Amino acid sequence: MDFTLTAEEEGFAEGVRRFLRDHPPERFPIDGMDAGYGSGAHSRAFLQALAGQGWLAMCWPKAHGGEARPMFFKLVLMEEMARAGAPFGPLAGCWQTADAIIGFGTERLRREVLPEIARGEATFWQGYSEPDAGSDLLALKTQARRDGDHWVIRGHKIWSSHAGISRYGLVFARTSHQARRSRGFSMFVVPNRTPGMDIRPIRSLTGEVYHYEVFLDDVRVPENLMLGPEGEGFLALLNGLDADRFWGRFYKAPALERVLHQLVDYANATVVRGGPLARDAAVRRRLAEMAADIAALRLMFYRAACLLRDGGPVTYETAVAKVMADETGQKLARLGMDLLGLWGPLREGSRWAKLGGQISRVYLTSLGHTIAGGTAEILRTAVAVRGLGLPAEPKGR
Amino acid sequence: MDFRPSPAQRLLVSTARDFLQHHCPIELVQRLVLDERGFDEALWRSMAELGWPGLLIPSALGGSGGSLVDVVLLVEEMGRACLPGPFVTSAVAATAVLLAAASKAQQKRLLPALAAGERIATLALVEESASFDPGAVALECDAPGRVTGRKLFVKDAHVADDLIVLVRGPGDLSLVLLPADRTGIVRLPLDTASGERLFEVTFDGVEVRADDLLGPAGRGRELLAPALRAGALARTAEMVGAAQRVLELAVEHAKTRVQGGRPIGGYQAIQHACADLVRDVDASRGLLYAAAWKVAEGDSAEADVAMAKAYASEACLRVARRGHQIFGAISYCEEHPLHLFHERIQAASLDFGDAGLQLETVARALGLA
Repeated sequence: MDFTLTAEEEGFAEGVRRFLRDHPPERFPIDGMDAGYGSGAHSRAFLQALAGQGWLAMCWPKAHGGEARPMFFKLVLMEEMARAGAPFGPLAGCWQTADAIIGFGTERLRREVLPEIARGEATFWQGYSEPDAGSDLLALKTQARRDGDHWVIRGHKIWSSHAGISRYGLVFARTSHQARRSRGFSMFVVPNRTPGMDIRPIRSLTGEVYHYEVFLDDVRVPENLMLGPEGEGFLALLNGLDADRFWGRFYKAPALERVLHQLVDYANATVVRGGPLARDAAVRRRLAEMAADIAALRLMFYRAACLLRDGGPVTYETAVAKVMADETGQKLARLGMDLLGLWGPLREGSRWAKLGGQISRVYLTSLGHTIAGGTAEILRTAVAVRGLGLPAEPKGR
Repeated sequence: MDFRPSPAQRLLVSTARDFLQHHCPIELVQRLVLDERGFDEALWRSMAELGWPGLLIPSALGGSGGSLVDVVLLVEEMGRACLPGPFVTSAVAATAVLLAAASKAQQKRLLPALAAGERIATLALVEESASFDPGAVALECDAPGRVTGRKLFVKDAHVADDLIVLVRGPGDLSLVLLPADRTGIVRLPLDTASGERLFEVTFDGVEVRADDLLGPAGRGRELLAPALRAGALARTAEMVGAAQRVLELAVEHAKTRVQGGRPIGGYQAIQHACADLVRDVDASRGLLYAAAWKVAEGDSAEADVAMAKAYASEACLRVARRGHQIFGAISYCEEHPLHLFHERIQAASLDFGDAGLQLETVARALGLA
């Protein structure tokens, strides 16, 4: 056992902290909403600053312009950025896409898209969900039909984060009807503004735009923008979803720790009935419980990280960690709203807003976390069936 | 970062699992719970032959010089088997006190016998405040002098040869080591729902000699701290092991119990409950290993230990309650094993500081005023 970072990882962490001190995250312009996952807002300027450090491609093989650094460097970078509240929203998606392209991308994707990712220019939206295909993803209706050396995509995607400000969409579509239900799907890297694509914002419950819906009306995509083998996109996507659960939530624990410390400072500084709020036994206990919950969450992710690093079997570990991340976040948000009381709903910029008016945003955005990227219900089922070997419920058709 | 036990630790774990499967089946646990003494001497001797009571004791004193991580891994297996007895009290907590506080002469006299399983020691810490907070101790005693009063919740006092007693002396708290059969000491059993053997120990003008002191007078608080941490970690390991077993039993039941034409584990209501058991056990174990590892590396890791114990107390009890719900009516029976694991987790959650006390340690470490 060993619960510390290596000297190299620690040295890198120090370098990241120095960078974040020299480049205060709040100074970077923001392009898209912070949905509370812990990775902050979408800021292309910040991504480009990371690119300037060589950090976006650092873990890629040298043949693809990387430095072949071990995976844990990505964890260290994300953890330090989340602790500092930096806006690296799209980063996990960029890295996953890059890994897929390095793994099974065409020459064109490797030549064109990888360097754009390395430079912090390309970010991606996920075109998975549809109005009638949420948890039942395979019910999707978007189709791609072959036309010479192109594919023509027709369909309707929804809940695609940052779609309007990304450079590419990762569109999941049916490419064959003969195959079994789980086969016959393929993934495409579709440049935004391809003719036939209509990207419309959806205003979220905070009043800002995070999600978009995308109408694809005979969008023509060259065949060399297909990502992964034709008809086997679902298997590729499943790996992606497992990775999505891990990389899309790894930074939640350090981000929650940051919020927890804000609440501790608030409880110390706020006087209630003649004494600090921090002396209230119930408040003390709930804050301390949160600290333990967050510490446990961090270790769940590091354990999954070790399995991924060492090539150990991962059956349920990322799913259980994601559920825990999202529910721990909701619990902390609820505690924050409780502590703030009447001040809680006062928004950023309002007179009298406490803690920058951020706690109500943390609370509201956290509602989406147990839904996005696999609902808590779908994931619990996955833990039980894939992890524990319980029999799957019969399908409804 | 590496969560895996070393090869030697994996061997310790597999040996323990094998041994306990054969020598501590659940039927034996059932029998011992109902037995008045609740202690199986043959089992204790076999454990001593494996060197377990000497795990924390240096080899020069007859032990094997293991670390707290080794202890935690072994006790996790004990929890998994619901092994009753004084192991944590004597071989972990009392041994840790003696290692931290006893003189060379006291160590030479006691530790080889403890390592061999020939002596058993217990801790008499808590009083009517029912708190493991040393600050709550009121029992006054000078050394040399006489002590009159009582301690409560003293575990396994009936099989103990030695009592380590926390007392308030001149200055601050002190630790004294008294033979359990010294004149004036009476051990009165408390009837518990947990199957744990807890005692009220009364002292009626009991003589305390100068050489009964463990370490300098007035230093009891700091000398006891490592033992409280070791005890808390070991009890956490016991909870994690017991909860792991509840998880295994519940999943097995969910796969085989058929209702409505299919195994109940095929219904999402049961699947989701089982998924939560996995989360609770895994998360508790992560905090436990990380805290034990830090302590073994020489860090006092006070807040880590406190978080591990507080978290497991909640999470493992949740596992036990969920387990009953998954099993249904059959688990309401005395002859069904589930309640044994549940009661063990309950008892362990209270020993060496309950969640409330642990969370106060966490609150202070967080910087709460």
